[in-house]
Amino acid sequence: MFDEIFAEIPILILLLVIPLVGAVATLFMGGERQKYAKYVAGAFSGVTLVLAILLMFVDNTALLSENYLWIDAANIRISFILEMDGLSLLMVLLTALLVFLVVVFSASESDRPNYFHTLIMAMELGLMGVYLSADYFLFYIMWEVTLIPMYFMISWYGGPRRHYAAIKFFIYTHIASLVMLIGIFAVVFEAAAVNPGVIADFSFAAVNAASGSFGEVFQVLVFGLLFFGFAVKMPAVPFHTWLPDAHVEAPTGGSVLLAGVMLKMGSYGIIRVALNALPDGAIWWAEIILVVALISIVYGAYACIAQTDLKKMVAYSSINHMGMVMLGIAASLLYVKYAASPDASIAQIGIMFAVFQMFAHGLVTAVLFMVCGYTGHALGTREIPLLGGLAGKLPAYATFMMIGFMASLGLPGLVGFWGEFGVIFSFYVAAEAMGMIWLIVFCLLSIMLNAGFYIWAMQRTLFGRETTKIDLSHVHDVSKAEGFALAVLCVIIALFGIWPDFALGYIETFVANFAIPGV
Amino acid sequence: MVDIDISWIADTFGSITPVLPMVLVIIGALLMPGIHLLLKRKNVTCAVSLAFVVVAAVFNVLLLLGHYTGTYYGLFTYDAFSGLMILLFQAVAFIAILIAGPSSETTRLHVGAFYSLMLIATAGMSFVATASDLLLIFVGVEMVSIPSYAMVAMKKKDPRASEAAVKYIIIGGLSSGLTIYGISMLFGLTGTTNIADIAAALATQGYTAGLVIALATMIAGYGFKIAAAPFHMWAPDVYEGAATPVSLFLATGSKKMGLVVYVKVFFVMFVTIQAAQPFMTESIQYVFAILAAITMTVGNILAIVQGNVKRMLAYSSIAQAGYMLMALAILSDWALTGAIYYMFAHVFMKGGAFVVVAALITAGVGETLKDYRGLAKRAPLLSAIMLLCVFSLAGIPPLAGFTAKFFLFSSAIIPGLGEPVSSQWIWLAFVAILNSAISLYYYAKIVKAMYIEKGESEEKVKVPVAFTVAAVLCVLGVIALGVYPEPFLYYCSQAALAIMP
Repeated sequence: MFDEIFAEIPILILLLVIPLVGAVATLFMGGERQKYAKYVAGAFSGVTLVLAILLMFVDNTALLSENYLWIDAANIRISFILEMDGLSLLMVLLTALLVFLVVVFSASESDRPNYFHTLIMAMELGLMGVYLSADYFLFYIMWEVTLIPMYFMISWYGGPRRHYAAIKFFIYTHIASLVMLIGIFAVVFEAAAVNPGVIADFSFAAVNAASGSFGEVFQVLVFGLLFFGFAVKMPAVPFHTWLPDAHVEAPTGGSVLLAGVMLKMGSYGIIRVALNALPDGAIWWAEIILVVALISIVYGAYACIAQTDLKKMVAYSSINHMGMVMLGIAASLLYVKYAASPDASIAQIGIMFAVFQMFAHGLVTAVLFMVCGYTGHALGTREIPLLGGLAGKLPAYATFMMIGFMASLGLPGLVGFWGEFGVIFSFYVAAEAMGMIWLIVFCLLSIMLNAGFYIWAMQRTLFGRETTKIDLSHVHDVSKAEGFALAVLCVIIALFGIWPDFALGYIETFVANFAIPGV
Repeated sequence: MVDIDISWIADTFGSITPVLPMVLVIIGALLMPGIHLLLKRKNVTCAVSLAFVVVAAVFNVLLLLGHYTGTYYGLFTYDAFSGLMILLFQAVAFIAILIAGPSSETTRLHVGAFYSLMLIATAGMSFVATASDLLLIFVGVEMVSIPSYAMVAMKKKDPRASEAAVKYIIIGGLSSGLTIYGISMLFGLTGTTNIADIAAALATQGYTAGLVIALATMIAGYGFKIAAAPFHMWAPDVYEGAATPVSLFLATGSKKMGLVVYVKVFFVMFVTIQAAQPFMTESIQYVFAILAAITMTVGNILAIVQGNVKRMLAYSSIAQAGYMLMALAILSDWALTGAIYYMFAHVFMKGGAFVVVAALITAGVGETLKDYRGLAKRAPLLSAIMLLCVFSLAGIPPLAGFTAKFFLFSSAIIPGLGEPVSSQWIWLAFVAILNSAISLYYYAKIVKAMYIEKGESEEKVKVPVAFTVAAVLCVLGVIALGVYPEPFLYYCSQAALAIMP
């Protein structure tokens, strides 16, 4: 329906320009005007969200591609390429939705609100750039652009140990991106090297076209570099230690964006960059990816049980859920590696549900962090032992928390179920092909632990006798703005839970054009 | 790219056209003490010397855009390379003079003499960029060094400045001595001081002990000017002790002059004899590669422990020189393009940082990390500029430092324009990237002090408008070179191709 209109206007670049203008506009709203910054940010992020939603109705997403030559030296070509397919679409949609809702949720932010919104809009710019770029140079720049606003977000608006958390976040992820940069250099220049006479073209397409001629050893080594860069971002055990610190100290808006969309950059990078550019390397690394995924899943779940801080528990659950994403990727690779005659349509299932799990986790974790953020700032503490019996006093809060927890533990009918279900299904197929069906025990353990710690946490905070350890007399239920943000997310969670095919349809168009390594 | 008609310049000025940008600055230098004596107004003297630099720069830009090449009796050659380098030195002089006017560190100096010395030094740098003879280059370097000693020593009341000046003169004298010794050996071996003729003569001679000594003393002698490790010891003391505009001039200008000498002498010489003397060339390439690796590592590691921002920037300059030296090791047109691009990026980012430092010293804030605490609230614009400049120095995209590092480091992988990928210098790229990661740590300390930590004072910082103008100009350069490198890259590659034999 919108195909003709979108063929005329450069909508993808608008998705970058609008947040940029929003960031600049809010930056200069100092002094008296700073209380209006939230409306400006709301308007800009709202328009971005509308554009992102309209993009869903473009029938042929492959049409969406914008290509501008950027640097054309004698032996290096760098282009400003934006491209959109089913995978990018879901991530862009998630980014636009969460940024808008974060602006709504953070309406009561009173400490320098203009800079707060500048940082949010700058992050939106970087995230959109990462999910849309189809050129390694642009991809890397946008990857780094997300880093600096998050650093300031944590160190300006965070909790008591914010400086430590911010610098830890910055150092971990910056070193990871430098390793990734070396990997990017390696694939681009190797692509130029295997085809004599070809200049170093940084576009994804040029590298993918040459990837068939990469040597085995090269692929294995460079996949290691790229995988390290992406795995730190996801984060996977043992490179996860920055995450709990960053989350606990970050303000609610920062946590929502960090867990909801920034962690997805890691898994997005693996799928978009590493699997495409280095298929043989991916196959070689399949078992290691599997081990990392299983350790993340089990360790993340166990760590959740041990937490007394509600937000820290949710942070560790992100490690568990992102482990599920990695498991889906590993399942596809292992199936191809071990099945006697791999079938492309079965091999796709793992990647497909890994992407769905990314989307689902983005929605669910946003609810969880908003609930935790509300807990911290309304009750003054997030320590589970100090809470109790809140359901009677705060019914709306209790409802949102229950929906969030249930969705996160994978209750059928909510969005979290389909992600885990699909990933575990694909992993079963892969484990069968490997002849090691017993590996599925780890998944069952994760489901069990997930249900355990969520229900236990819920029981201790919401039900039972009302707590006397903190003063509840002045506590009000969630505000209208907060309730609106949470309600929108809960409706979407239920919607995709009942009708997952809506999202799966986009993922199917993506995986149909996606070359699963080895098939 | 752009084509403009510049024949009127050549018609008007005749044979002095190739040296025109230099001559205008020298005229300014000669007039400056007189102008100050007559008018006795510090700001007027500053403005007049600025005007001379601007007029010279306008002519230079016209010549560059018109793709002018010409030679002045075979002694000086104006081409795309020397033109671009003269532009760089003029930019440095412009920034330094602009902030020297209002800076509190330069008010008590002999104003007329100060600007005169600065203009002479600028002319000397242009002299080096255009000269095509070893002796002329030597004279040009001295023309920069001697005014520099005087400018450092001019802050008479400050014992740090006197110490710095003494160190600088002794080290400078040593380096001149080494250099002239090397040149005389080379003259004895080849019978000429013209670089092209020396290269032609060396192509037929093999390695001799005399040649090794000549090259070693010349590399060391000019290494002092670049402050390449292990010849860097003087730089932090001098940059810290001198008035900040002078430090800026030395760190961004005088250092580039050393690099220009390296390029004009060693780069040209060894590119010429590469085919005839592969072993000699390769061994020299490794000498420069090790020099580059040591310089960047020493600079970055020593910068980490500094508490004085000026001193930290001095060590960071040493590290940055290490990156630029990579071009000498890789010895290709693309590497030289990257190095030239880097030189310009360095002028803007390091210049911007020094301008902020100078502004804060003038405003009475101080120059240590402790004084910078909570500065973001007290001076939002200057803090933002400092943030952009140090992030650019650390190589964070999309700023000039990243783009420049990208071009330069990529030349370690694809050495030449249109050539295939080579694995010879990949280790050097690794060392450089690793160094960039280390450097982020101390740059982040400046940002942390300004933006995160709380200061004792909440009072707004007021600085003269000239500082703000200079800083904004620098930061615009940082952003422009970072975001849209294409047009400028063209001129850099023209310059690199002009110098390739």
